[in-house]
Amino acid sequence: MSALAKQEGSGRSISTSPQHFLIITICGRYLALDAEPIQGVLTNEEASPFQDLVVQGTVYGVIDLALRLNLPSEGLVEGARLVLLKNESSRKSVRVDQVHGILKVQKSQVLPFPAQFRGPERRWYLGMIPFNHSVALILNIAWILEDQIQTPTSSSERYGMESVVAAQGAAESKNQRC
Amino acid sequence: MLRTGGNSQHHGIHHPWPVLVFSIGGRRLAAKTLAVTEVARWSKSIPVSGQTPFVTAVVRLDHVVLPVFDLAASLQCAVQGSHPLCLRVKHPLGEMVMYIDEAIPVLHSVDDSMIQPYQGTDLPAEGSYIDGLDEIPILSVSKLGMGS
Repeated sequence: MSALAKQEGSGRSISTSPQHFLIITICGRYLALDAEPIQGVLTNEEASPFQDLVVQGTVYGVIDLALRLNLPSEGLVEGARLVLLKNESSRKSVRVDQVHGILKVQKSQVLPFPAQFRGPERRWYLGMIPFNHSVALILNIAWILEDQIQTPTSSSERYGMESVVAAQGAAESKNQRC
Repeated sequence: MLRTGGNSQHHGIHHPWPVLVFSIGGRRLAAKTLAVTEVARWSKSIPVSGQTPFVTAVVRLDHVVLPVFDLAASLQCAVQGSHPLCLRVKHPLGEMVMYIDEAIPVLHSVDDSMIQPYQGTDLPAEGSYIDGLDEIPILSVSKLGMGS
């Protein structure tokens, strides 16, 4: 477990301004995750790519976020990490290509997601943060953690179910696309 | 980054429509100048995954981040030139930009008597006018991306 891991049961950070986001890359896109629900970050060596994670006795189902975001998967890249997420009802992990670290931003620096985007992506993203001459899109962690059967925009989303078989299916699907 | 065109016709009783004529895929289109905020060099767009037709990226311009409406894709053509331009326009949902040909846009003043209904269905238009052999549609910027 990396230094970013939190101890189970530790108190959550108080949500005040400024906000903290974990900046990650998936398929070359900068994305931001609210730091508060993040329980830890694992390296590839610490997590099997084809099994749900068990961390401190708790299962974190693996979600293929690239698939859910309709991004072209690049397979398992060197330096990939698993980010552990938790809310009141769910614990999941998402595989990311790179972790850039925690970014502290004032609420005024968070830009609204443009209203011209009118599709289901309005649920995927909560806003935008200027980052590194580019933009990091803030992911909606509630959407990531929700039961994926309820969002049948793509049958491929079912790959994210918490089973070894599903995870292997997703990996095979990735390889076929690559 | 604009030129003035020589197509002005002022006859007193008619009202001129100031428009900006630009090109996409070599095809000339116009937009009311009041709908245009800026014409600038194109900066690298940042892709955004989603399912909104023709809105698939944003651009970062100084401290603002604006969505990109891919008018070329909606017209099934490709922007021409190695140094394309960025047309920043006003829109009911907020400012946005479009990627246009590198040909420098031209300001025209079109007499309202020249405005006719646009017969095409490939883009939302407030009307059109004839310039030489071409029918120039006047783009209804406010309706872009607002289809049913």
